[in-house]
Amino acid sequence: MKNKKTLAYSVTVPLMNEEENVELLYDGIVEVMDLMDEAYEIVFIDDGSTDKTFEIMQRLQRRDENMKVIKFRRNFGQSAAMGAGFEYASGNIVIAMDGDLQNDPKDIPKLVSKLKEGYDIVSGWRQNRQDKVIIRKIPSKIANGLIRHFTQVPIQDTGCSLKAYTKEIVKKIRLYGELHRFIPALARIEGARIGEVPVNHHARQFGSSKYNITRTLKVIMDLTTLNLFLKYLRNPMHFFGTIGIVFNLFGVITLLYMFFSILVLRNTLEEVNVLLSTAFIFIAGGFQSLFFGLLANLVVKTGDRKSIGTVENGSGEKLN
Amino acid sequence: METPIVSEAETLVTNLVEETKLIKKKMTVIVAVQNFEESLDETYLSLKQNLEPLDHSLEIVFVDDGSSDKTWDHLRAISEKDAAVKAIRLRADSGEAAAFDAGLKNSDGDEIIFMSSRKRIDPAGLPNLLNKLDQGFHLVIGWRHHRADSKLNQVISKGFNWLVKKLYRVKLNDVNSGVFVAKREIFEEVPIYGDMNIFVPVLAARKGFKVGEEKIGQLTGSFRQSKFISEYIQRILDVITVIFLMNYSKRPLHFLGFLGFIFTFAGVFINLYLFIDRMTGVEGIAGRPMLLLGALLLVIGIQMISIGLIGEIIIFTHAHDLKEYSIEEILE
Repeated sequence: MKNKKTLAYSVTVPLMNEEENVELLYDGIVEVMDLMDEAYEIVFIDDGSTDKTFEIMQRLQRRDENMKVIKFRRNFGQSAAMGAGFEYASGNIVIAMDGDLQNDPKDIPKLVSKLKEGYDIVSGWRQNRQDKVIIRKIPSKIANGLIRHFTQVPIQDTGCSLKAYTKEIVKKIRLYGELHRFIPALARIEGARIGEVPVNHHARQFGSSKYNITRTLKVIMDLTTLNLFLKYLRNPMHFFGTIGIVFNLFGVITLLYMFFSILVLRNTLEEVNVLLSTAFIFIAGGFQSLFFGLLANLVVKTGDRKSIGTVENGSGEKLN
Repeated sequence: METPIVSEAETLVTNLVEETKLIKKKMTVIVAVQNFEESLDETYLSLKQNLEPLDHSLEIVFVDDGSSDKTWDHLRAISEKDAAVKAIRLRADSGEAAAFDAGLKNSDGDEIIFMSSRKRIDPAGLPNLLNKLDQGFHLVIGWRHHRADSKLNQVISKGFNWLVKKLYRVKLNDVNSGVFVAKREIFEEVPIYGDMNIFVPVLAARKGFKVGEEKIGQLTGSFRQSKFISEYIQRILDVITVIFLMNYSKRPLHFLGFLGFIFTFAGVFINLYLFIDRMTGVEGIAGRPMLLLGALLLVIGIQMISIGLIGEIIIFTHAHDLKEYSIEEILE
C-alpha cells in the first residue's frame, strides 16, 4: 500500500459478474474490518467480468486507499483469481472469501482468533448450508468424505471458500489448474496445521453459481494426485518401484507358466509363444516403471520443494 | 523582455514533447530471412518505401537464420549503408521462432512487425495492418489474399487453419501467414518457443489480448520448395504440443490419466475375461494372442498414468512462478 506500515490483514475476494453483490460485500467487509482496529487492505480480483463489476470496484477503490483492484484480461477461473489474490496480498493474515455473499464477513474475527491459536489455515464450516439439498448438499457430503479420506485433512467442509491463512502458507502454496478446491490438501503437503470454525452461510441473493460441481472425474484425478503427493512426494521411487516390481512379477509368473507348459504339459515352443511375448511385455514394462521411479526421484531432488512438509506452525506471538 | 524567453522555453518544451512522442512511436520490423539473396534488396526497398511515410521512427532488423548463400554479405552491406537497419546472424538454421526472438531482444520499437521472408508477403499491405492495430488491438495478423504459392500448399494451409480454428476456437483464417504486427508489451506474457511463432496469435488470444486479422497481398515469384513435407509434419507435431501445453500443461494427469485409465481398464477386462475362460472352459490361454493384447494395454495404460504423474511432479516441484492469469490493470 501507499503507506509502508505493515498490514495486519488482507481480505481477498475473486469476483466475476457480481455487479449486484460488489458494493454490499465491500460494505460488509469494511464494517467488520474497521472494528478489528488494525491496518488492513481489501483486494478484489475481477476475473474477466462482462458486466459492471469492474466499474463499481473502480468507484469504490477511488475513495478507499486501503483497497486494491486487480483486473484480469479475461476469465481465467477461480484458481487463478485466488492465486493472484494471494500473490498481491501483503497482510500478515490473509482472508479469502467468495464474492457471491454466501459467506458472511462477520465471521472473519472468529477465523482470525482461531488462527492466532497457532494454526496455518482456518477454514469456515458451513453448518447450516443454504443450498438445495439434493443437487448440492448430498454430493458435497460425499465429496467431503472422500476428500477427508484422500487428503488426510481433518476438516468437515473443504468447499467453503471463507478461510484465513498465515502469510507464510499463502506465499508457499501455488494455485494452478483448478486446485483451489484443495488448498488445505496442498497446505497439508507442506506440513500445515489446519483448523475449522463454524460460519454462517446465506442463500444466494443475486446472480447464480458460476463454478459447478459436475467435473467429477477431474476431481477424482486431483484427489488421487494429492493423495500420492502426500504419501510419495519425498520418494516417488516407492510408488513407481512398486508398480515395476508387480509388473516384473507378472512377467516371471508368465515365464514360469510357459516352462511348466513346455516341460509338464509337453507343449511345443510354437504353441506357447504368446506366453513368451506376454512375459517380455510385462518385464519391459516393469523395468520402465523402475526407471520412471528413478526419473521422478531426480525431478524431486532437483526441484525447489526440498523443504516439503516443513512449514512452521504459525504461533500466536509471531502473528502479532 | 521576458516574453520571448518564455515563448522560447515553451517551444523547447513543445519540441521536447514532440520528440518524446516520436521516440514513443518507434516501430521495429523484424524480417526472418534464409537464403534470400536474390530478393533481399527488393524487400528492403519495399519496406522503406511503404513504412517510411508513416508517422513512426523506423528500425528494420534482419535476422539471418543460417543462410548458406550470400544473404549475410548483402545484409552487411545494407546495414552499413543505412543506420536504421540492424542485421543479426544466427547459427545454422535455428528456426523462425528463434529468429523472431533474437530480433525482439535486439530492438526497442513499441510496435513490432514480423515478416517471414519465406512467405513472400507484399510490404505494401503493412500500413493496413498497422492501422488496424491502432484501433485498439494488441496483435493483428495478416491474412494472405491473392495467394501466389502453389495450390497444394494452399490446400494444406486451409486444412491446417481449419484445424487450428476448431481446436483453439479462435476466429483467424490464416495463422501461418508469416506476418503480424503487435505491441511489444504482449511478448512479456506470450511465450515464443520451439518452432511456434505461428502460434503467437493463438497464444496471445488465449492470454486475453485482442487479436485481429487483416488482408494482405503476396508477391509472386519463386517459392522455395525444400523441406516441404518435413515442415508440415513438424507443424502437425507442433499442433499436438500446443494443444497439450495450452490445455493440460498445468495438469498433465487430466489428459494422460484419462487415456491411461481407458487403456488399463481395457487391458484388465481382456485378461480377466481370459482368466475366467481358462478357469471354466477347456481351452488354454497359451496360444491366444488376446493375452498379448491384454498385457500390452495394461502396461501402456499404467505407463501413461505414470508419465502423467511425473508431469504433475515436475510442475509441482519446478514451476517457480507459474502464472495462469494475465493482469490488465491494477488499481491501488
